[in-house]
Amino acid sequence: MQLQDKRRIAMLSAYALALHGFESLIPMPIPWIRVGLANIITVAAFILFGFRAAMMVTLVRVFIASLFTGSFLGPGFILSLGGGVSGILAMGAVLYILPGLFGPVGLSLIGALFHNLAQLFLAYLLFIQKIEPVLIITPVLILIGTVTGLLSGLVAELLVKGLKKSEVTIQNTPQ
Amino acid sequence: MMKQFAVHSSQFAVRSSQFTAKKMLFFFLLTTFYLLLSTFLYSCSPKKESLYRKTMILMDTLVTIHVVADSEKTADRAMTGAFEEIGKLDTLLNFFSDKSEVSMINRNAGSSGVRVSPETFEVIEKAVYASEKSGGAFDATVGPESSLWNFVTKVKPKDKAIREKLGLVNYKLIVLDQEKSTVELRKKGMIMDLGAIAKGYAADRAVGVLKRHGIKSGLVAVAGDIRAFGLKQDGKPWRVGIRNPRQKGEDDEILATIELRDMAISSSGDYERFFVIDGERFHHILDPRTGYPARSCQSVSVMAQDGASADSFSTAVFVLGPVKGMNLLQQMGFEGLIVDKEGKIHVTPGIKDKIEFKRNS
Amino acid sequence: MNLKETVNGTTLGDRLLFILLLLVSFTGIIFIKDVLPQSRDVTIEAEGKLTHRYPLDTDRRVEVGSPRGRFTVEIKDRKVRVTEASCPNKLCELQGWISRGVIICLPAGITVTVGGTEEQKDRKVDAITG
Repeated sequence: MQLQDKRRIAMLSAYALALHGFESLIPMPIPWIRVGLANIITVAAFILFGFRAAMMVTLVRVFIASLFTGSFLGPGFILSLGGGVSGILAMGAVLYILPGLFGPVGLSLIGALFHNLAQLFLAYLLFIQKIEPVLIITPVLILIGTVTGLLSGLVAELLVKGLKKSEVTIQNTPQ
Repeated sequence: MMKQFAVHSSQFAVRSSQFTAKKMLFFFLLTTFYLLLSTFLYSCSPKKESLYRKTMILMDTLVTIHVVADSEKTADRAMTGAFEEIGKLDTLLNFFSDKSEVSMINRNAGSSGVRVSPETFEVIEKAVYASEKSGGAFDATVGPESSLWNFVTKVKPKDKAIREKLGLVNYKLIVLDQEKSTVELRKKGMIMDLGAIAKGYAADRAVGVLKRHGIKSGLVAVAGDIRAFGLKQDGKPWRVGIRNPRQKGEDDEILATIELRDMAISSSGDYERFFVIDGERFHHILDPRTGYPARSCQSVSVMAQDGASADSFSTAVFVLGPVKGMNLLQQMGFEGLIVDKEGKIHVTPGIKDKIEFKRNS
Repeated sequence: MNLKETVNGTTLGDRLLFILLLLVSFTGIIFIKDVLPQSRDVTIEAEGKLTHRYPLDTDRRVEVGSPRGRFTVEIKDRKVRVTEASCPNKLCELQGWISRGVIICLPAGITVTVGGTEEQKDRKVDAITG
């Protein structure tokens, strides 16, 4: 891993953490529903720098956020980690199998979907152990994830485009 | 650093332009799959024909009718007609009502024949038939004995009283006159109780009414006397549970389930009305030949073409016990399930593969 | 860079995926309740007509009546019983607390059912003999 990569990952992780922290300030009607703002950074990292960078950014965010909030290795942490990693894996798989089919919005939707499915599965295995409530909530979570995934996907697209546009200017600027 | 940046992002740009017909096809297939799946799901849920259900208290018990119909109006009309039919039979056959034809026959026992409606005549005919076929194990004239027992106050009658009344129990002393449509009990003091056949017969009549209203599929359950016809709206046959005679918890209410296609099923069990004295169980199914509760079974379920047969023969088989009972079922061409006094289950060969047991009992 | 431009930048795949997910989740929300067994209800029917329906897990007392009689239905700790019946023999009261099945009051023509059709659907049985 090159130094530049590390720098990028650190920067993106910082952004992701900031968004993560900001999100936790937004009051939500139901405690475990999240907008998934950090997903914006994950998707952008994926498109700009590839699978490994996105995975690193997610892992860093999940670990550090849990250390900040004191939920390290707790239930919330396990769910976050499982959901985050599954989301990235699914995005990677989709990009590998069907390159070019999806833009940032599609990737974000895929990420949100598998993030939710993995969390539900983990929650079922570890905490709830009753299939009915999990099944009832699954389509609701998919719906919410689709809407928030669309929004964060659009923002990610804006971000990617903006960065690409600014490439020229950045390249011209002496380091 | 920036060079790399540019490479990565241009890669992305190149990738997105690779949007080909192949991928379109993939998505097309995915959407088609989804549409197929949802149509499948949708067709599973009732659309054109729906199941309608109504319960009423008639014949001193719960009567539930299920019909498959294309509108609630059709279903309601048919069910109302069927309930009225059962209500009519109730007034004719009710043992406890002074106004019933059965009570009239009992009041005139030993003196004269009573002119009765065709329905009463038919059900008594069927009762006599079941008595003849079962050699008196089923007997509609068991009334003098059954009136001695009271399962609410839990009093066992004296042996002497039981013995004295035995002479009054004999189905051969029922005189049926087809032409005059009269019924007579030969001996004074004889009491006819159609309780072990009337509910099955009522289910038959109710099914007849439903069919006359154009219903193609339905189920009538007069308490545990059930008759079903046609297939449900999902194309499956009606499924009936057979009650576990020794239910302990909440999840063992049903012993087995069986599909019912244009058939009737009835059960007799020692658990419906009973009391226990010194560990001995006294229940309401009396052996007409002794006047005491029949001892060799816990429960008997009989499947037959009509409800009257299923109802009367379930009692007959219960009284006869597992061995003779099985023989009777085979001789009559009926199917059945017997739980003997040890709890062992006997099943006729014809339904061995069609019955689904809930537990490994 | 405005919103319209961003939306136009999405691929066909993005849009189809979005619609697909919406469809799947809506279908799921609609159908999942039919697939799963519902929680138990207490239904009270008089003369064949549904008069009351209550969830079994909420404790309450209800007075029910028909022209032929009346009584009180008590729901407590996911169990149901009939008290204060106006009928002479009080057979319905003798049944005590039930958590499944039916209490019938013959004189009043009222039935109190726990579970009802959902319960039978759960057990895949249309009727019970015996």
